[in-house]
Amino acid sequence: MTPSRPSPSSTGTRFARQWLTGSSLIVTMAVMILVLLVLLALFADVVAPYDPLKQNLMAALQWPSSRHWLGTDDLGRDVLSRLIHGCRIAVIAAAEGTAIAVLLGVPLGLFIGYRGGWWDWIVMRMVEAIVSIPGIMVAIVIIALLGPGLHKAMIALGILYSTSFLRLARGVVLAEREEVYVRSARVIGASDSRILLRHIVPNIAPPLIVQITLTVGAVLLSEAGLSFIGLGVQPPDASWGTMLNSAAAFMDLNWFLAIPPGIAIILTVLAVNLIGDVIRDGIGRGIAAEPRADVAAARSAAVEPTAATEAAALPRVENEVLRVENLQVVVGTGVGVPIITDLSFGIARGETLGLVGESGSGKTMTGLAILRLMGGGLRTTHGSITLDGRDLRSLSDRQMEQVRGNAVSMVFQDPTTSLNPAFTVGNQIAEVLRAKQGLSRAQAWSRTVELLDRVGIPRPEERARAYPHELSGGMAQRVAIARALSCNPSLLIADEPTTALDVTVQQEILDLFRDLQDEFGMAILFVTHDLAVAADICDRIAVMYAGEMVETAKVDALFSSPRHPYTRGLLAAMPHASDRNPPLPTIRGNVPRPGAWPAGCRFSNRCDFRTARCEQRIPLTGRDRLVRCVRADELALEAAQ
Amino acid sequence: MIRLIVQRLLALVPLLFIVSVLTFSFTSLLPSDPVDLIVGDTATQEQYEIVRERLGMNQPIVVRYVQWLGRAVQGDLGTSFFNSVSVTGAVMQRLPVTLSLTAVSALIAIVVGVAAGMAAALRPRSWIDRFATLGATFGQAIPNFWFGLILVAVFAVNLRWFPATGFTALSASPWDWLRSVILPSIALGTSSSAAIARQVRSAMVGVLQQDYIRAARAQGLSARRVLIKHALTNAMVPVVAVLSFQITVLLGGALVVEQVFAINGLGTLAIGAVRQQDIPMIQGIVLVMVALVVVVQLATDIVYGLLNPKARPS
Repeated sequence: MTPSRPSPSSTGTRFARQWLTGSSLIVTMAVMILVLLVLLALFADVVAPYDPLKQNLMAALQWPSSRHWLGTDDLGRDVLSRLIHGCRIAVIAAAEGTAIAVLLGVPLGLFIGYRGGWWDWIVMRMVEAIVSIPGIMVAIVIIALLGPGLHKAMIALGILYSTSFLRLARGVVLAEREEVYVRSARVIGASDSRILLRHIVPNIAPPLIVQITLTVGAVLLSEAGLSFIGLGVQPPDASWGTMLNSAAAFMDLNWFLAIPPGIAIILTVLAVNLIGDVIRDGIGRGIAAEPRADVAAARSAAVEPTAATEAAALPRVENEVLRVENLQVVVGTGVGVPIITDLSFGIARGETLGLVGESGSGKTMTGLAILRLMGGGLRTTHGSITLDGRDLRSLSDRQMEQVRGNAVSMVFQDPTTSLNPAFTVGNQIAEVLRAKQGLSRAQAWSRTVELLDRVGIPRPEERARAYPHELSGGMAQRVAIARALSCNPSLLIADEPTTALDVTVQQEILDLFRDLQDEFGMAILFVTHDLAVAADICDRIAVMYAGEMVETAKVDALFSSPRHPYTRGLLAAMPHASDRNPPLPTIRGNVPRPGAWPAGCRFSNRCDFRTARCEQRIPLTGRDRLVRCVRADELALEAAQ
Repeated sequence: MIRLIVQRLLALVPLLFIVSVLTFSFTSLLPSDPVDLIVGDTATQEQYEIVRERLGMNQPIVVRYVQWLGRAVQGDLGTSFFNSVSVTGAVMQRLPVTLSLTAVSALIAIVVGVAAGMAAALRPRSWIDRFATLGATFGQAIPNFWFGLILVAVFAVNLRWFPATGFTALSASPWDWLRSVILPSIALGTSSSAAIARQVRSAMVGVLQQDYIRAARAQGLSARRVLIKHALTNAMVPVVAVLSFQITVLLGGALVVEQVFAINGLGTLAIGAVRQQDIPMIQGIVLVMVALVVVVQLATDIVYGLLNPKARPS
């Protein structure tokens, strides 16, 4: 017997459902197995070829034959007939055990949940005590009290499994009683029982159904186990458990006896569990249809962009640390859906390039593409990423591991989630120093303390021993910066490093970036959606929209005379402290999703200046500043007037 | 850490107390009169009274409970109604058998479950993942005693690699001990390994999507190191939480699987005691099992605290 009380936390079953029911064939089979089970239970007398109890010692322990399809047992009884009659016992057992568990557990759980106080305390302590005893032992003790037999064993299992229903009902009541509508119902004078019936019972239904399916499977396994050890169904009655009990004694003479009842149990439990998984998933997700990746891929295949050679437009910079040319990133198999197209830019030593744009414009993805850490299904298909003169795209994964940390590193948006909660912050910095620079434990630790001190953490030796959750957001981000700079990389990618922080802390962190850049001289790729932050920290700004760069310029030039309508929109949407009264203008609409980009200028469907010429692909043009707009010149003129 | 242990230990005292009250009062409700069972139908009233007094059954239940508890905390769980053996002695004699099965099957469940769950999580939707998921789905539907029968048929009766029945004490021969527990432990551990694999997979998939994994990779730490140190440590937090439950399940399952392999463990003792309505024996077995569960819970709580700094009292 597997006295596995239904565990409420088997989240892994979602995947089981996804795969096993991806073709709904298997669900159909599961349903059919259960229907067959119930039909056999109902019509066992008609269907079974023999009387399941009729003995024939002359024909004992026979192997399968045309007379006895599944052979005969030690008393010469027909195995097939006993198996079919066993269906009846299985159905009765599952129904009885589960019903008792529900009828006992739910009302009691509702009651103690609603009453609270001593009732709740005493019952819950008893439940805890029962749960701490192995389930089969509980059942055995109850059977000791009641005596063996199918119905008595089911009462025992019912009591055992009622604890999970009790806890479930109590939990729902505790959650619901604090809901506003229940409280207001009480205020307007609705009686306790009415509140319970009208408001709480409907909310209990979904988890109850899930718990029932879990319990049915568990009861079936437990009943078989109890019958197997002789405390459930008593001989000569045919249950799958008792059949296995007699089979066990004759394994060396006829092992086949164990096969039919075993398969019957497995198939039934499997069918119940699978259907339970489907129900649980349906309820869990509200039966919401998820967008399917393959549909998106099919839709976007038409918008395959031209890999135009625009690298000529990218001016060479002195002391260039990073140079990205014609980079293209796609998601999905085959041609894939483009996420980033024709992206080219360079950053010099000691320079900070801001990558700005709305969510979904591809700026974070650009940073991850440089590190080759984009994650599942994403890959670069064209272009080059040159860091310190080395083309990163041509490196092996192992070589890339060397580059990360040593030559390029990254600071993430949320410092509290980008540090591992299980280790001290000092451990996480020292780890990098030991792994990347081969320092000894002691060297790494003293260097860690130095670094923490350098990024402005007071009492660094003490803080190094703190866990991330013990630090404030600002302190945690300083730790993350210290770790990123621990191996003195030539390029630092900062992905919205101040967005998750308190406004007062933001400025301190920006100042820290500036100081550290003065000292270490690294190039910074600063990804942000906040133009005020970009204006503060960046030397140059590249504006991204729908996976491509639409404008790039020195920070002053961009702010004083934006040339792309999108840049103008972004600037106009920036709040200024001085003019608070007029409503902030916004850019209408949203960034189109990858695969749904307009064929020509990707901004055209949101642009106030669109013309017929915007229907075709627009190249980046210009010399010291670049813009991707056919009307850039006339718009600049307009702005100047 | 010491504070955590003390805290947990203190919390366990009331639990053990409640379990003892429950088992004592419950077993005292048994329908048959133990005195009758012992003296038989032909006994005189006088004989009946003597036995009744010897068993202490003439005293009120509260007094009997306090006496029983007083002796129990000193390690004396009473005397069997039937063969006058000490319950403590009988339980202690069987305990190593059941503990062997539970421990070896837990080891198998953890090793197989973690390995399968990790393999599945690393390559979601690959054939490894599908195979592991399929295995886990089946593993949870297979009755352990049936699986035991099949293992006996194949590996003991047919291939003769392992003995079909019996148990050899670890102290007698470690090799024979291993041979005698390996089949029952596989039969017992399979469904738990399936449950653990599912838990590991879902925890691991969740952890691998965390920022700190990508951040660790961004510092150039190797995929292997990130996986073993950063991901597994965090993924084990929820797994450890289900582990103590799974070990309780294994302890109960051992009682049944013992029957398949004709092993004289606590299961045989408990089933016999139930058949004979041997009240002190049932009480003793339940109490010892709960004590074991409590020790397991304490151990998993400590491991949980080690893995998850947020769970430590500050």
